[in-house]
Amino acid sequence: MHIPDGFLSTPVWLSLDAVGVPAIGYLARRAQRELEESRVPLLGVMGAFVFAAQMINFPVGVGTSGHLVGAALLAIALGPAAASIVMTAILAIQALVFQDGGVLALGANVLNMAVAGVLAGYLPYRLWGAGRFRKAAIFLGGACSVLAGALLAILELLLSGVGMPASIVWVSLGLFTVTGALEGAITLVVVEGVEALNPGFVQRPSGTGWASLGMLGLGAVLLAAVGILLASGYPDGLEKLTQKLGIETKAWNLFSTPLADYSFRQLGSSWFSKASAGLVGLGLIYVLCLLVGRMISRRRSA
Amino acid sequence: MHHLVVERWSRGESALHARDARVKILLTLAFLIALTTTPRISIAPVLGYGLLLLAAVLAGRLPAGAVLLRAGVVLPFSATFAAISILAGDSERAVALLVKSYLSALAVLVLAGVTPLPRLLRGLESLGAPRFLILVVQFLYRYLFVISEQAQHMRLAALCRGRFHFQAAGGAVAVLFARSYRRAQGIHHAMLARGFEGRTELLTSARAGVADVLALLSGMLVIVGLRFALGGFR
Repeated sequence: MHIPDGFLSTPVWLSLDAVGVPAIGYLARRAQRELEESRVPLLGVMGAFVFAAQMINFPVGVGTSGHLVGAALLAIALGPAAASIVMTAILAIQALVFQDGGVLALGANVLNMAVAGVLAGYLPYRLWGAGRFRKAAIFLGGACSVLAGALLAILELLLSGVGMPASIVWVSLGLFTVTGALEGAITLVVVEGVEALNPGFVQRPSGTGWASLGMLGLGAVLLAAVGILLASGYPDGLEKLTQKLGIETKAWNLFSTPLADYSFRQLGSSWFSKASAGLVGLGLIYVLCLLVGRMISRRRSA
Repeated sequence: MHHLVVERWSRGESALHARDARVKILLTLAFLIALTTTPRISIAPVLGYGLLLLAAVLAGRLPAGAVLLRAGVVLPFSATFAAISILAGDSERAVALLVKSYLSALAVLVLAGVTPLPRLLRGLESLGAPRFLILVVQFLYRYLFVISEQAQHMRLAALCRGRFHFQAAGGAVAVLFARSYRRAQGIHHAMLARGFEGRTELLTSARAGVADVLALLSGMLVIVGLRFALGGFR
């Protein structure tokens, strides 16, 4: 589910880009550090593999078939940071060359599929991948990766005010659960096939970095829970919720920054001030990303 | 394959093809932001943004019909959500979803149609995208067609053998995985043999000239002017 441009409201895509861009910068550095240099072509070729593997249909009974999505498979084979980068590269090519998914919405799509999807796909494998429940863990990873991405996408659309009646939200959640189960089964079959060919292709789950991983997993679960709550209870989006609870005014009183509500208080007319505030915000994000990137690379080379 | 069409377009010659990739990226981003922040989609914005894109299509000497048709790939997705919005009683949003997603896709298609992908990626890199990610994207695009063709062959072979069941499909994907993995190792050895130092080089250097700066300024002026003429933000 790739969100095109024009679907997300400005605060939603802007804040998701603001989170997604530095996240990818960090993951790129991490993947680069973790991998030997010989893995650079590997990541690109694996991206091409995921594209190509989607042409192979998996028949599931009466005339229907599914195909691999790939986030969990990549996470299990390459490790989470590298898998995120490969998924991001796939999303970038799809947005630029295939018009599948938007450019301004790239931050949202990257967070849904390349970050949350990969993380949700990797976490069960990391926790139980070495033990008795290995098969279940791989299946669960595939299922969770699809579900996490879909839940986040629905949540973002609802936050943007795309009105979806509760019944449609529930039907699509049901469909995503079926898709998730299918992805889990495909991931399991493929991982077993790959291991039969060469066990060295698949990374063993290792026990380091537990705390941060647990935190990230908790975050993903929380996000999913919030998504379900919002989807079921407030199908008309957060706007109604904030109006009901009066959160909006309280929040803006708490955070009375110059950019609050995307408008400079100092400037008069609303559309001009909102435009300039948006542009300044974008510029600030860009400069911040550059600075953080420079700082990290300087510290690493020092 | 249909995306080869975009690549053929991008190798053409026109005033737009000749501009620096960074200029085109920034103008496309400005256009997308202007479009997405436009609150009410009526006749005026459709005409304004549509004509602007049409002018770009003509200036880039792209085949107008084919470009307009190809940007329609977003419409099935948008139409689904437009239908849902109408069901929810929000027909204004339905129109906005269709128009905005179509025009956005058209804008990105024009960008890709007048800029070869290596230049586009180099432009993104010099605007701050991580080089490691750009490298991965380059490799992905380079081997997309090679591996897709291999997948097609395997699919055809499996169909010739008869019924294709779940386990067999899993085996096919696993074999494709192993072949891709080995191919990547071969590619790396070949690259080392040719002196790869962590960066792909373009044959011609890209430097922004006076024409590029002028194009950036005038393009920004037109987009920002159009946006403010349409008024209102949300």
